[in-house]
Parts: sequence; structure tokens; C-alpha cells
Amino acid sequence: MTLDGSTAAVRVDGLSRRYGATRALDGVDLRLERGITGLLGPNGAGKTTLLSILATVGEPDAGRVSVFGLDPRQAAQRVEIRRRLGYLPQELGYHRHFTVAAFLDYVAILKEITGRRRRAEEVARVLAAIGLETRARTRIRALSGGMRQRLGIAQALLGKPDLLVLDEPTAGLDPEQRLRFRELLSGLPGDPVIVLSTHQADDIAAICPHVVVLLQGRVQFTGTPADLAATAAGRVWAASERDDRAHLAWRGGDNRWRHVGDDPPAGADLVAPTVEDGYLLLSHAAGSR
Amino acid sequence: MGVCEPAAGMSPGAEERDDAALLRAAAWGDEGALAALYDRHAGWLTIRMTRRCALPDVVDHAVQDTFLALWREAGAYRGGGDVAAFIWGIGIRRLIDAIRRETGARRRLPWRAAGPDVVVSAEDQVLVGIEHGRLGQALAGLSPELRGAIEATVLDGLTCAEAAVLLGVAEGTVKSRCHRARVALRAALTDQHAGPEKPAHRREAWRTS
Amino acid sequence: MTHAGEDLLRGYAAGTVEVAEVWSVEAHLMACARCRSALSAHVDAGRLARSRSVLMVRAALGDGGRVRRLLCRCGVPDHLLRLLGATPSLRRSWLLSVLGVLSVVAAEAVAVRYGWVHASAAARPAGYRDAEVLAPFLLVAPLLVLAGVAAAFLPMFDPAFRLAVAAPFSGFTLLLVRSVCALAAALVPVVAATFLLPGPRWLPLALLLPSLALCALALAAATVLDPRAAAVTAGVLWAVPVLLLLETAHGPLPIVQAHAQFACLAVLCACAMVLLARRDRFEWGWAR
Repeated sequence: MTLDGSTAAVRVDGLSRRYGATRALDGVDLRLERGITGLLGPNGAGKTTLLSILATVGEPDAGRVSVFGLDPRQAAQRVEIRRRLGYLPQELGYHRHFTVAAFLDYVAILKEITGRRRRAEEVARVLAAIGLETRARTRIRALSGGMRQRLGIAQALLGKPDLLVLDEPTAGLDPEQRLRFRELLSGLPGDPVIVLSTHQADDIAAICPHVVVLLQGRVQFTGTPADLAATAAGRVWAASERDDRAHLAWRGGDNRWRHVGDDPPAGADLVAPTVEDGYLLLSHAAGSR
Repeated sequence: MGVCEPAAGMSPGAEERDDAALLRAAAWGDEGALAALYDRHAGWLTIRMTRRCALPDVVDHAVQDTFLALWREAGAYRGGGDVAAFIWGIGIRRLIDAIRRETGARRRLPWRAAGPDVVVSAEDQVLVGIEHGRLGQALAGLSPELRGAIEATVLDGLTCAEAAVLLGVAEGTVKSRCHRARVALRAALTDQHAGPEKPAHRREAWRTS
Repeated sequence: MTHAGEDLLRGYAAGTVEVAEVWSVEAHLMACARCRSALSAHVDAGRLARSRSVLMVRAALGDGGRVRRLLCRCGVPDHLLRLLGATPSLRRSWLLSVLGVLSVVAAEAVAVRYGWVHASAAARPAGYRDAEVLAPFLLVAPLLVLAGVAAAFLPMFDPAFRLAVAAPFSGFTLLLVRSVCALAAALVPVVAATFLLPGPRWLPLALLLPSLALCALALAAATVLDPRAAAVTAGVLWAVPVLLLLETAHGPLPIVQAHAQFACLAVLCACAMVLLARRDRFEWGWAR
């Protein structure tokens, strides 16, 4: 992962966006490379706004975006970006009367795959990738939440995109499906740029070699999950009782209280920090500013 | 026709239904029946089509179109005659369509698959036994173009127009080749000076069950 | 029964067998299921599996029914027809509702005209002036057409709207295709219903231009305003004059007479130009 902007596949400079009085994005700089990048942040941090701008669905108020060297503000280049794009929006709605195959066929047409046979081949390919081949004729309204989410991921994969923008792709998936999703992402043809957002730190730790933490519209951290965990080094403690002076304390699975903060509680042991600890510390620091 | 024994890789649970029942079920929209039909018939159909057209993509498309033609086509199969022959009748015409699309020929084929020209059983008897006899030798003595024309019109039951697309020649050429082939066959079969039949050296290729 | 041996089948599959034997094998295959399945083993299983999955998808998609097949034969591209499948105002339920509303309004007009029922206002003798009788219909019919077109372009009617924006397919083309088809689909019952109504004989034709102008106005306004506001504005701009005319001139017929038709034509042309000039607006969606 290079931080040198000159070779980055996707570049974001000084992006700002506000909705009324709220600043959704406040001067965001970002570089994305081939491979998976995780966007971590609480709800309302601007993740969805940033992803919608990357997916050319939203316009920024200020700042520049460059996707594979193309500028989405130019109409012709915007269409070219969209040809290489796969997008899963948050809370994607479906035409309820469509069957699974019909919906994927519809999205394939929107992606300019016009030949009937080629469309069927693409639809068959993504259905096999997400494991819904037996459900091709099921109506979407009869699918469970997890299946609908997988269908959303499938439509993003149509056309073998070079840029995959996934907003909360693991929401509603059970642990086994998350595992398959991770396998799916790592095996995609063509090594695309993948950026996915989540508010769960363990997804990041498991899937993403690169993490960006977005808090209150600003990038607070860029680096590997190990680096994020390391920011909390020396500040995570486990004790048998709860100490209220810590920033955060909760009872862990081993029946001990885990504390994240600067002052160690009495009798506490230092423990190795996880990605979640690093994230919580950052979040607390940003909140107190 | 009788119940088919399962071969490797077939979908389980489909062996009980015979082909005619599967065809009816597929015509009414039973996905499992379509899948079972495919598992049973796609293999031989692919090979037989490959003998007529060497392009594997075209053959695959034609096989898909054949089974699609069986899907939801209520009433197309009348129940008489062999299911395999029925499928071949549709398949060969889908193959011709696919070849035509590939080579860009202009004329349109009928909207639906025409009824199959099922090979009459008397011909069947003859054809099964030809490798041993005079007819086999006479056929082997024909040039490949004449053999191809006879095969398309007699064995596959195509019209001269359809055979023309399959062979990639003009319709008139097909007609003249068929005529010459028949003349040559007649001459070879009625030739008084033909030697005794060659020994059935290939008999071991066929086994009794 | 004699069956084909393994070597013979392999040779046939590989194409190395003499033609006479080939004919025998093929004739035998037509009659023997066992040899057919034995032959299947000589095809690449992966190739068959890939083809099978594509077949099942194509079977799942189907060909869309009689109307679509007919349109395909007439040369309409298949992918456009599939895009229209996502438009709510082209679905049977919508069209039936439109028919329902039209029949109610038309039936009321006919009944009042022929004196079968009395209007709720002060009792009048049978044989109303046509103008007042037609008022509800003239109000409602173009609004129904507008509703059909609005359902074709409003994001609230397209659950997968953001996918359409993020896709390379031109948003303007998509909008036009859907709107034009919704327009045509809505105009057919409207024009058919006007033939049944009492009134001047040119009434069916007279409703065409106002309906077209109204829809063009809504689309053009959508390049400036929020789409929902645009649709509502257009509807109000039709309803208010009709109601006013009913109050002041004892009948809304003036709105479909000659000078009003010219006005509608002018509005139609102006809005069409605005729409074309500002069509880039539709490529971004309305994510504001």
C-alpha cells in the first residue's frame, strides 16, 4: 500500500460536503490502491457520503476526486468511471416483483451488457460466486435479509468492475456468510480496488489489509489494522472489577473487565490491544475535541 | 423408450421419471425436470452436434437453445416416437440457427422448431447394420462432400435449404451433390463386379449386452 | 440387445471413426438410453456444467410473456423491454387502476348527461350542457397521464434508483424510454374513454396536447426542482385553471379549445427544449 499519491488508483483531495448545518465530510484526503480498503467509523461519520461520491452518485461541495485518472465532473469521463464501477449502496431497495435472475439481468443491462447470452453468462457467474444459483427464480420479496444482502453484493460484481464500492456489505450476514464473503472478495478476477465500509472492527481485522478511520467527517487514521491496534498499545487493561476512570470498560468473554484508557485501574494487567481498542481510543479522542 | 440408467454426474432423484414425463414436466415449467433432461441428453447432443460443426461455442449455444426450446413449450411433444429423436430434431435446427448467426446468413428460419423428421424404423434397421455390408463400403467410397450432403438430408432429415447452411454451400450445390451421391451409391450397389463383402473385422466394436 | 463398445464410443466422440460406423452409432443412440449416457462421459464435465448454469439462468429469465415476444418480433431491442419491466406504471395493476378511475369518472359523466342521476347541486332538468358534465373527466384524465409519467421518473418509485445512477447507461435515455412508454400506456385508456363520453367529437384528440404538455412540463421542472415538487407543480398548474374555468365560465371546455391547444403546444415545445438543454441533470440523480 503506497501513500505516494502519484501512482494511486483512486485519489481524493480536500473533499467536503455538508447537508444543511451538518458537515458530512470536512477536507478528506485519501489514496486507494488495488486490494481491499476498509472504511471504519460510526454512523453519521460521513462514510456513506464518501462512498456515494466515489461511486459518482453524489457531488461534493469542494475538493477533487480522481478515479483511474478520470474526473467525475466531466460527463464523458464519468460514464467511463461508471463502466468500471460496482456499487452496493446502503439499504438497497429492490423491485419486489422481480425474481433474483430478473433483477440481476436488469442491473446487467444498466451496466451496458446488451447481448442476451452474455448477460445470462454474467448473471450465472455472479450467482455461482455468491451461492444463490438455486434461487434464480425466487421472487426477491421471498428472500431472507441475508440473501438479499448477498444479492446486493452480486449485482455489484456484474461486469467485473475495477472499482468496487460497498456500503456496509456485511450487514445482516451471519458469521458463516461473512467468512464466504471474505473468501469471495479475495478471489475476485482482475484485482480490483475494493473499498468497503463497516462499523464493526472485527470485519476490518479479518478482511482488510488497509484501514481508514473516518470520524466526524475527517480521516483520523490511515494504515494497516496492526498499526491501528498498535495505537492502543500500553493503554488496554484487564481487571477483575470495573473502574470508572477508564474511557471505556466492558466485561469481556473471559469474565474480566476490559478497560481502555490512560490510567490503569488498580491490580489490572496490561493486555495486547486489538483493532477495536485502537478504534475506540481514536473515537474517544475525536469525541472529546 | 426405457428408463435410463444413471451415469456419473447425473442429478439424483431423476432416474425414476422417463424421458417423456420429463419433457412434459419441463414444458409446464418444472425446473428440476429441465435440469434432469439436460443431464441426460446434453452430453450426446453436444458430441453429435460437434460432428456437424467444429466450433465449440456455436455448439454450446445450440445445445442451450435446444433445451430452452423444450422449456415451457406446452404441447410441442406429441408423445409418439423417440424422445431422443425429438430432441435431435430440435437440436439440429437450433444448430443451423446458431451457424447462421455465426456466419451472418440472411434468411429467417421458422418461428418454432419444426416437427422432427423421425428416422423411420426400417431405415434404422438398415443403418444399424450398414458397417458390415455393401452399403457401408459404397458409402466409404463416396467423396466427403457427397457423403456430407447425403448425411444432412437423409440421416438428419433436413431440407435442402437447411442442409445448405449446415454445409456452408449454396442450396443448388446441395441438390446436385445429393443427386450425384445417389447415382454413385446406386452404381456401387448394383455393380455386378463387386467383390465379396469384406469380413466384419469391426464386429468386436459392438458388444451384446 | 447389442450395444456400442467403449472404444467405439470414444472413437465416435473423438471423430476418428469411419463414416459408415458413425451412421450406425447415431442410429443406435436414438434408440438406446444406456449408450447415450455412456457417451456423455466423453464430454468435458466442466463445459457441460457451465452451459447448464447459463441454461438455468435463461430459463429463469424466460422471454417475458406474449406482449414482450410480440414487441421483440417487431424489432424493439430486448434490453429496452427488460428495462421497462421495472417501471411501475407499465404493470398490470397500475393500468387496471387507471382504467378503474377512468370508468368511474366517465360513467358519472355519462349518467349525469343522460339524466340517469341528478348532480348533487340544485336539481336541474335532464340534458346538461356538456361542458359542466365533462368537468371531472377533463380534470382527471390528464392528471392520470401525468401520474403515469411521474411514476416512471420519480426516484421514490424506483427502489434501485441509486444503482441506475451509478451505472453507465445514460440516465436521460432511461428516463425518456420509461416516460414515453408510460405516456403511451396511459393515453390509450384515456383516449378510448373519451370516445364513450358525450361531448364534441374532437374531444379525444383535444386531450392529447394538454396531456403531452403537462408531462413535458413535469419533466422539464424536474431539471430545476426536486422531482416530487416538479410533478406536484405540474399537476397543480393543470388543476387550478380547470377549476377556475368551471367557476367562472360554467364549463372547462375552453381549456381544450383552439387557443388553449396552441398554448399547450407552445408549452410542450418550450419544455422539450429546456429538457434537452438540461438533460445532464439526470445523470447525477437527485442525491441532494
